[in-house]
Amino acid sequence: MKRRTMLAGAVALAAGIIVTPALAAYPDKPVTVICPWTAGGGTDVLLRALAKAAEKHLGQTINVVNQTGGAGAIGHNAIRAARPDGYTLGMITFELNSLPPQGLVPFTWKDFDPLMRINSDPAALTVRQDAPYNTVRGFMDYAKAHPGEITIGNSAPGSVWHIAAGLAAEKTGVQVKHVPFDGAQPAVTALVGGHIKAVAVSVAEVKGQVQAGNLKLLGVMSADRDKIFPDVPTFKEQGVDVQFYTWRGLGLPKGVPAPIKTKLADAFKKAYDSPEFQEFAAKASLNLAYQNSADFTKFLDQNYKDVEAVMKSLGLAKK
Amino acid sequence: MEFNWGLMFSSYAAVFTPGILFMICVGTTAGIVIGALPGLTATMGVALLVPLTFGRPPLESLSMLMGIYCGAMYGGAISAILIRTPGTPAAAATVMEGYPMAKRGEAGRAMAMALFASFFGGVVGAVIMTFASPFISSIALEFGPVEYFALAIFGLSVIISISGRSLIKGMMAGFFGLLISAIGFDPISGFPRFTFGMVEMMEGPPFIPTLIGLFAVSEVFNEVQKSGVTQQVKAKLDQYLPSWQDIKYCFRELCRSSIIGTVIGAIPGAGGDIAAFISYGEAKRASKNPERYGHGEIEGLAASECANNSCSGGAMIPLLSLGVPGDAVTAVLLGAFVIQGLQPGPMLYKEHIDIVYQIFASMMLAQFAMQFIGMAGIQLFARVIMVDRAILTPAIFVLSVVGAFAMRSNIFDVYTTLAFGILGYVMTRYDYPLSPILLALILGPMAEANLRRAMVISGGDPSILVSRPIAIGLMVLAVISLILSIRGHQKVEARMAEMEAQFEKAVAD
Repeated sequence: MKRRTMLAGAVALAAGIIVTPALAAYPDKPVTVICPWTAGGGTDVLLRALAKAAEKHLGQTINVVNQTGGAGAIGHNAIRAARPDGYTLGMITFELNSLPPQGLVPFTWKDFDPLMRINSDPAALTVRQDAPYNTVRGFMDYAKAHPGEITIGNSAPGSVWHIAAGLAAEKTGVQVKHVPFDGAQPAVTALVGGHIKAVAVSVAEVKGQVQAGNLKLLGVMSADRDKIFPDVPTFKEQGVDVQFYTWRGLGLPKGVPAPIKTKLADAFKKAYDSPEFQEFAAKASLNLAYQNSADFTKFLDQNYKDVEAVMKSLGLAKK
Repeated sequence: MEFNWGLMFSSYAAVFTPGILFMICVGTTAGIVIGALPGLTATMGVALLVPLTFGRPPLESLSMLMGIYCGAMYGGAISAILIRTPGTPAAAATVMEGYPMAKRGEAGRAMAMALFASFFGGVVGAVIMTFASPFISSIALEFGPVEYFALAIFGLSVIISISGRSLIKGMMAGFFGLLISAIGFDPISGFPRFTFGMVEMMEGPPFIPTLIGLFAVSEVFNEVQKSGVTQQVKAKLDQYLPSWQDIKYCFRELCRSSIIGTVIGAIPGAGGDIAAFISYGEAKRASKNPERYGHGEIEGLAASECANNSCSGGAMIPLLSLGVPGDAVTAVLLGAFVIQGLQPGPMLYKEHIDIVYQIFASMMLAQFAMQFIGMAGIQLFARVIMVDRAILTPAIFVLSVVGAFAMRSNIFDVYTTLAFGILGYVMTRYDYPLSPILLALILGPMAEANLRRAMVISGGDPSILVSRPIAIGLMVLAVISLILSIRGHQKVEARMAEMEAQFEKAVAD
């Protein structure tokens, strides 16, 4: 009995091996998606939700692997260096454009094949509810009148929000002190506790405290007003022309054959449009901003130039 | 926010349904296993299972996550006691007493106490969370950079208590830890330091691989060196619950540690690892028999295990009432809540008070689930120690390497583990304690980043450090603890010398 089962197994296996090449249509094995950030973080949760929705359109299991460290450098490098067979792709994030100017990585976005942009969240300036100013202008005037008093928290040194706050201060010509924390959450907590005067992070990251009445939004650094807080004016409306976004998207290593890239793009676009992913994004307050490969490539080019220029003027870039 | 008894009872009733109880048990079991495996922490366990809860009703998914959280906090003790590998960083202090006990053949006693202490701490944490949330959460917000710096200094004063026989060697290990904790990104300017241009070094020595290397791999080398003469550890495994005597003996520490654990848990950013070390240090300082610490003192084991579990209840307090996570696990939980359409914070109390009470209830039930599932598992787990060393040692080695790799899927972490394994082996041979390195790695970056943040805020004026009452209180405590520990250490040394003299006399006779 046992021998017969084994024999049957062996035959089946052999048959499988012989037949497979004949059916070798992509994808015939699970696809890996690299996440350069820790499991459970915003990027990871987003990627897992998208991957789950994409599985049925791709017809294969999609495994999310977290390759973290080096402020995202390790994961991005892993995506870049992956075999370009379409079985490994990854999520690329804003840091891909801020790490090179800092001299921290030897590659830029040009070493990737951008697949699609998924979301783009603007920075917002948030202060305590009891603060004596209600507008971005009022805040800046207060900062001018009280030099050395304003402290703005951000999520990490050289991070997207650090750059955003620096840009806003530079445009208005005020002196503020930037206080980097280990992530947006601790910075928001410190603001609620009154240890700093303001934070420059995304709307989603302060949403809970704003709704609870502990914090108030002074302005968002986007072209249009926020969907959740339509009463909050943009910086531009208040006479400070600053726009600054973080973004996330999918990227491939260079050299993936075009038909495979199309298949991946289709599957992930369908996943992006699926009701479950849209519902997830709404709950997580993500500002979805799809761009196809060509548009995303143009966007990355412009974004890289902008970020590099700002970082140079703020002294965050390597000379 | 006054307490609503009626709602509490109805919440318990809601949780007491077969479906929810089942989810709690599944979560707890998964948590214990994840916690026991080196390299997989409570944070990772919760993070990996959060996607599974998409689309499930809130109570069902949250109760499962509560189970994982509580289970994993205890699970870390299993491998800490049996194979000297803290399954989670929070169990690092448990190794110091747990492993010597297991080596002495008291694995069963240690396991039973670890489980009971976890249960006790968990229940106290959950009770405090249920009744004192509004009060405790007001303390949490008082913690700014200055207070965190003071807390880190207070925590570092525990190094004296975990130094073993030689204070100087303990200090050396501690300063070595502080030194290597300076590797990586500068917390304020963001530029990398001492990385030799290696991307992998940018975030400093990876904590979990370092932990596994120092404790597990070094012990593997130690066993290999003894090969040929290994003797089987005989373990009595007839215990599910600690004896009444043990409970009575440790009761004072259980109470003290569960309060310390809950309060430290409630401070955002300070988690089970810090709570366990501080409770252990306090237990040793207050003990009548401090000379037994480090040689398998059940009281020290109870203190650290109790503290890291009560920490979970504490960490939930600011999460629920302020929307501010108390530790790394609750930061992931915050995401899970948001996915469920629930925004933790004052609004949660206003809009979904029923969910809040149901979380209280499921946290409490998770403790009971942990006690029962843990009891069922003790026999199974503790058998590990009966396995022939020739099989067990290589198995631990493989597990360590896999655990180190699992964290970030990076081969560099495996090299780190091996390097720290060699270092740990050499240090143990020459009687250098290993725990101060860990404590320094946990608290060093916290002290540095917050000191520098405070300096940015004050514009470089150091008087900010003594401008706030909580910070002054903590600094004073640190000084007192330092003086008392050093005096206590001298007393222990005197007693040890006396005992050794007697022993030598007895041998001479």
